[in-house]
Parts: sequence; structure tokens; C-alpha cells
Amino acid sequence: MSDLKVSRTGGLLGTEEGKTFSWEKVRQVANPEIVIAFTLFTILMVIAIFGALLQTHDPMQGDLLKRFTPPGQEGYFFGSDHLGRDLWSRMVDGLQWSMACALTANVLNLLIGSTLGLLAAEKPGWLRIIVNQFVYTLQSLPGLIILICVVVVVGQGFLTLVFTLGLLSWVVYMRVIYAEASSLFQREYVQAARLAGVSRWSIMFSHVLPGVRASLFVIFAFHFAGLLIAESALSFLGLGAPLGVPTWGNMLAESRQYMIRAPWMLIVPAGAIVTAVVTMNLVGDGIASLSRKKGRSIDV
Amino acid sequence: MVKPVVRIDDLRLEFLSQAGPFEALKGISLEIGEGEIVGVVGESGSGKSVTAMNLLQLLPRTKINVPTGTISVLDHDVRAMDEKQLQKIRGGEVAMIFQEPMTALNPVLRVKDQIDDVILRHKDVTPAEAEEMSLKLLADTKITDPRRVYESFPHELSGGMRQRVMIAMAFSCSPKLIVADEPTTALDVTVQAQILALLKERAKTTATSVLLITHDLAVVAQLCDRVYVMYKGEFVEQGVTKDVIGNPQHVYTRALLNSLPEGKAPKSRLATVAAAMIEGDTSNVIEEPIEQVTRVARTGDTLLQIKDAVVRYPKEYNLFGRPITFHTAVDHVSVEIKEGETLALVGESGCGKTSLANAVVGLNRLASGEIIYRDKNILDHEPEIRREIQIVFQDPQSSLDPRWPVWQIMTEPLTVGTSPSKAELREQAADLCEMVGLEASQIDRLPHEFSGGQRQRIAVGRALSVRPKLLVLDEPTSALDVSVQAQILNLLLDLQDEHGLTYLFISHDVAVVRHIADKVAVMYQSKVVEAGDSEQVLTAPTHEYTRTLMNAVPSLKRAFAA
Repeated sequence: MSDLKVSRTGGLLGTEEGKTFSWEKVRQVANPEIVIAFTLFTILMVIAIFGALLQTHDPMQGDLLKRFTPPGQEGYFFGSDHLGRDLWSRMVDGLQWSMACALTANVLNLLIGSTLGLLAAEKPGWLRIIVNQFVYTLQSLPGLIILICVVVVVGQGFLTLVFTLGLLSWVVYMRVIYAEASSLFQREYVQAARLAGVSRWSIMFSHVLPGVRASLFVIFAFHFAGLLIAESALSFLGLGAPLGVPTWGNMLAESRQYMIRAPWMLIVPAGAIVTAVVTMNLVGDGIASLSRKKGRSIDV
Repeated sequence: MVKPVVRIDDLRLEFLSQAGPFEALKGISLEIGEGEIVGVVGESGSGKSVTAMNLLQLLPRTKINVPTGTISVLDHDVRAMDEKQLQKIRGGEVAMIFQEPMTALNPVLRVKDQIDDVILRHKDVTPAEAEEMSLKLLADTKITDPRRVYESFPHELSGGMRQRVMIAMAFSCSPKLIVADEPTTALDVTVQAQILALLKERAKTTATSVLLITHDLAVVAQLCDRVYVMYKGEFVEQGVTKDVIGNPQHVYTRALLNSLPEGKAPKSRLATVAAAMIEGDTSNVIEEPIEQVTRVARTGDTLLQIKDAVVRYPKEYNLFGRPITFHTAVDHVSVEIKEGETLALVGESGCGKTSLANAVVGLNRLASGEIIYRDKNILDHEPEIRREIQIVFQDPQSSLDPRWPVWQIMTEPLTVGTSPSKAELREQAADLCEMVGLEASQIDRLPHEFSGGQRQRIAVGRALSVRPKLLVLDEPTSALDVSVQAQILNLLLDLQDEHGLTYLFISHDVAVVRHIADKVAVMYQSKVVEAGDSEQVLTAPTHEYTRTLMNAVPSLKRAFAA
């Protein structure tokens, strides 16, 4: 049977809703954009994981005689900074820090946001009202400013940053999962399960969670990009990573004074941020088109 | 026949997809004469809508391949025309009426802007003249208050009104041809009757040709001069409607007619379009013999008693989220079902029949009244009773989890409270498959690998897994093609015979109800207006509404009598 069907109204349907992911589908839809996205992503992950092996210098150790070396000279791949430290090695450190921070915060966001979203969608009543009102309040406050206030109060450091981001930016998960799960809970197969006496938790884990899984992947990728930017912004402002730790934000902050004399000090961390963010956005797009159902992409 | 308005010659059409080309039309030829109403009838997927869409080149040209064929509409070779030339024909000389008037009308524009726009675009008139013409057109469609409709937004109008507006728009530029794609499928039967009569009257008075696409043979019988029967992208039979339906030559047409419950003995087996046909080879079709099984109703004690049931939905809420006004969906309804019998609730959409069914299975709460199941109030003993009452929903597309294999779907109710092994469940599922006429080897497939009818079988199998006594069937066949409907009706009757099931059957289709039900309760505006033995109620209705309903149903017999 061909997978192209003509519906009763004459419209063309794509593949029917079914499994959200399969390698067969990957081969069918693998367009250049997706290939680029996942290649870039793999490169970033390799650098993040095997960073220590790829570093050419000690990222913290400067050579004051070799300050402001332009990229490519004297063994400095990306040049050196105002203290003669290797920018490539520092960038690798920054990548590890950013990835670890964004990843952990993102997992926290996912757990909190989707749990609340699912619960609010499942239980009409006070929980739904409270969660929704809390989210409205959170959404009405300017995110970055709240983050700054919190960091100012609790101080800097990896864990502080991760928990601040993790506990405050799960709204996007909650909103999307709440909306999708609400509609899934109304589906007839959920009602049929309910009538058969299947428990709330069982319905949630066996019918609803698999139904929102594709969206979770997509938000995870897009939100990852957002967290990377937030982390860099906070570090840039001197509120994220402690001073001296080579993160992209800190490197940007340090480059400000030497922008004219050594523009590569700006370009290297800025380029790293842009590359990482673009990669994650492409990955998000890629996942969305891979899990496309019935010709309709998931709106995030 | 004078000069044909439409002439299609040996048209082939393929859809291009990644899985390879899919042949939708296999060399069809069709002719529509001036002022003629021609029907194309077939099941979903037969290619009838593709034919209509392709007539005006509405299919994306990059997604299709047309190896052979010519289409001439009003002496234009439409396949050679570009978008701009086509636009001049569309809406002007050729108009379309779609199935769903809500989506065909623009929701943010008033009716007046939409009709006037069509007239102004195709005719050389002033806006004031256009308004006058629009009002005249609306009045012609028997709208009693054209001015109000003219000023309204689509959402302020009922489905029937919207379809009238669509018809008015279609006739606005005095077209030579109207293409109507399932124009009444989304409407209630009583409204459908009015719309069909209107369409016919308008077409005949203005000598407009109509190409009517439908799956409903009774609609064709009522409306069309000639009919083409379509099967798998081919016209298997064509001719004057009376001849085709009165004396069908092709085996497919015969099977299709025999699968209609109308005119068959109640509870008899209906013919189905045989499996050989479904596989695509029309040459060696075996027609299933119609055995006249006389089924004896084995009615026992009262199984379910609904007393004075009221279901209300909140309409407006106060500041604290407490409802202050209600919409009463079920208004003091009392019915009872005896063990082993079938009670049908008949009525139009919005009459409260589904609300009542949902109350029986526990998806709705009663505002007052009670439901007694075997002398126990259903609300007091819910967990035990719930398993004895199961439901089959209308649309098997949405009632099966698309990510679950069949064995898991069918045995889900069995996992409640206990945790049987996977092997046990699979065995149970295989048994259930056999019971509902599926192959036991198919239990690892996903729902989308099945056709609509097979999916409904899966849904029935799931409901039967806990060996219920009472099955609530909420329009179980209305999302299905007629030939598939026959299969499901046969299955339901067989299951009732074998397992002594009791059915609460919800439907809007009088012919189906007459076929399957022992007792009928007719619902109208939240109340039961008439109830009794189905034979009696449906042959000699006493209530005014029941009579209206009976007369509105398109019927082959009546179409010929006329």
C-alpha cells in the first residue's frame, strides 16, 4: 500500500500518524539542512567530550611575551589574549562549561516543566489554576532581569547558575506540554482507557507521555540554544561564571578593552556562541521535520 | 445530448510520492451535457474527489503526473491553461461547492463581502448593483431573511444556512457548471434533504450542469440524471440513474447496493464488497450470497434502566469559576433496555443522544435522575459495573492510540488491577482478533496500517476484551463507507447472537437503526419524543418530528417512486 492517500475530502495526506521516529523516515527526509545540523552537533559534542585532548595549551597559563598574537601564529590556533593565553584552548574550556551548564539546566527545566504541564492537563481544578497563574506571573516578568537579581543574591558559581536557570526557565516546557497533553487527554483512546478502569498514572505514562515525546525533543533543542545565550549573557555581565574561569561570556567581557587592538579576542568567543546557538536551532528544526506527523510540523 | 459542457477523455493521473507513484485515476472518460446533473459515486479512496479537483486543475501540478488524457471544460482545454486563465473560469463559468461550508467561507468576513466580491470580480457592475444581486441570490436559495444573512458572519449561521450561502455564491455568476463535492455530508439529514432539493431546483431553473461527488447512492438516486460508479480509479459502470440503480450490471455496483441496509429484512446479513474486490482486481469478484438469517431476539430481564436522566453542561461561569447558567443536553429522559436486545437512540446532531450515552458509560455525570444497572445504581458500584459496560466510539481513527500495536490496544482493559504476562495478553488479543474478524497474525501492527473498517473492528475487540454485557455503540458506522458499514453491522449482529450482548446503539441513520435495533427512542431537542418497537415506530411514526426525520432520509425507494 502506498503511503500516499487521498482523504475523503480530496486532500493529500502524508504518512499517517504513527511511530514518531524511525531510521526509514530519517533516510526519506534527510535533507542538507538536517545533515549539516547533525554534523555540526557531532563536532561540538566531540570537542566538548574530548576537550582536554584537543587543547594545545593550558587555558589558564599565559605567556606575557606572546600577548595579542594573531590567529595562526606561533602555534596559537585562534591567537592569544591580553595575558598571552591560548584562545582556542580557552574556547574549548568555555564550550565544556556552557554545554554542561545548559544541559543540566535544560534537564531540570524539562523535568519541572513537563511534570507540571502533564499534571495541570490531567487534573482539572485547583492544580491547573495554580500552575497556570504561576506561569502567567513568571511569564510577565522579564526573564533575564529576574535571573540577574537571583544571581546577585545567591552569588556566582556553576551550581548556582545551573539551579537558577533550571528552576526559573521551565515555562516553555510547561506551556507546550500542557497544551498538547490537554488535547491528548480528550482523545477517545484515553477515554476508552479510562472507562476500562486504567489508572491515571498508567494513562499518563502509556498514552500521553509518548504522545508529547516528539515535542519534548524539539523544545529541548531550541531551549538549549536559549540557555546557551542566557548563560553567556550572565557571564558577560560578570554574574554567571566566577571571574577568571574561561567561559565564552567571560572571554567576551575581557575582550571589550582590546576590541580594536585584538579583534580576534572578540570574534572567537562570539563566533563560538553563534555557532553553538545556530547548531542547536538547526537540530531543533531537524527533529521537528523528522517527527513530522500528518504533514503538520510541531509548532513550538 | 447537445454539446457537452465537460468532456474528459482517457484521463490517467498519478500522485508522486517518495514511496513511488500511486495511480489514482486509471483512464477515465466522462461527459456532462448542458443542464445535466451527473453524479460520481464511490467509496473513499476511489478517486472521485481527485476527478473533481483535477477538473479545475486544483491539484498541485508538481505533485501529480498526468500521462494521458484531455479535459475540456466549456471548450477550454484546461490542461493547457495557466493559473491566470484558470482563475477566470473558476468561480465564474465553473463554481464549486465544498463539503464543509465552515472552512469554505472566510470566518473573518461578512457574508456580504464574500458574495459581493465574487460578483464584482467576474461581472462589470457597481457595488450597489452587486448588493442587490446578492440579496436576490440569497432569496432564491429560500433564505427567509436574506438581509440578516447578508449582514452576518459565517459563524453566526447554522450549517444549513452556510451551505445555502455557498450555493448562492456558486450561482452568483450564472455558471455553466457547478462542481459539488459531498455538499451535504457534513449536514444533518433533515437539512440535507432541503439542501439537495434546493440544489436540484436551482440547477434546473438556471439550466446549469452539476457534477455531484458523493458516496451516498440514495443522494444520487434523488438528484442525478446520470451516474458514474467509481471504483479504484475507474468508472466501472455508468448510465441513466434509474437504470444503474434499478438494474445494476457491474458486480461492484450490485455489491454496493446490496450493502445498503435500506429495504433489507431487519437483522439479516448484508452483502459486502468481497475481499477480492478490495485487493483491486475487479475482474474476478465473488459476490457474497445474502443469507436470510432470522435472528430471534432473546430478551431477558431489564438490564439497564435510565430514569429521568438530566445532563447539563455549564454555559457561563461567575467570577470564581462556578457555573451559573447551564445548557441542558438531556432533559428528563427515561428509557430501559432488556438483556439481549438493541435499543437505538436516533436523532440529529445536538439532540443529546451522545450526552446520554456518555452518562451511561460514566463520562458524563447526571445532574439529576438515576441509571440503574441490574437493580444497582450505576453511580454507587462504579468500578465493578464499569467493566460490564463498554463503549465503541464513532471514529476509529481517534479512538485507537496511534503508537500502540493492536495486541496492546485490545488487551489494555485486561491489564487493570492485574499484570498478566505479555504472552498471555498476546494470546488473548489473537482470540479477540478472530472474534471480530481480523487475522491473529496482525496483532503486531499499528492502527495506521489498517483500513477504517478494520480499525473499527479493533475498537470492538478492545471493548469485548473484558466480556462486557452492555455495549454502547456511538455512531459506530457513520465514519465508514457503506460497504464497510455493512461488514461492521454484520459483525455486531453476529456478536450479539453468539455472546448475548445488549446494545445501546446511537445513530442518526434511520435505515441502519431499522436494520439493527429492536427498540427505538427518537430524541429531539434533548427529549425523547417517541419510543417503542423499532418496526412500529419507524413504519407508523406518531410524533411530528419522527415523520420529518423519516421523510428527510434519502431513500432509493422514494427516489424511484417520485
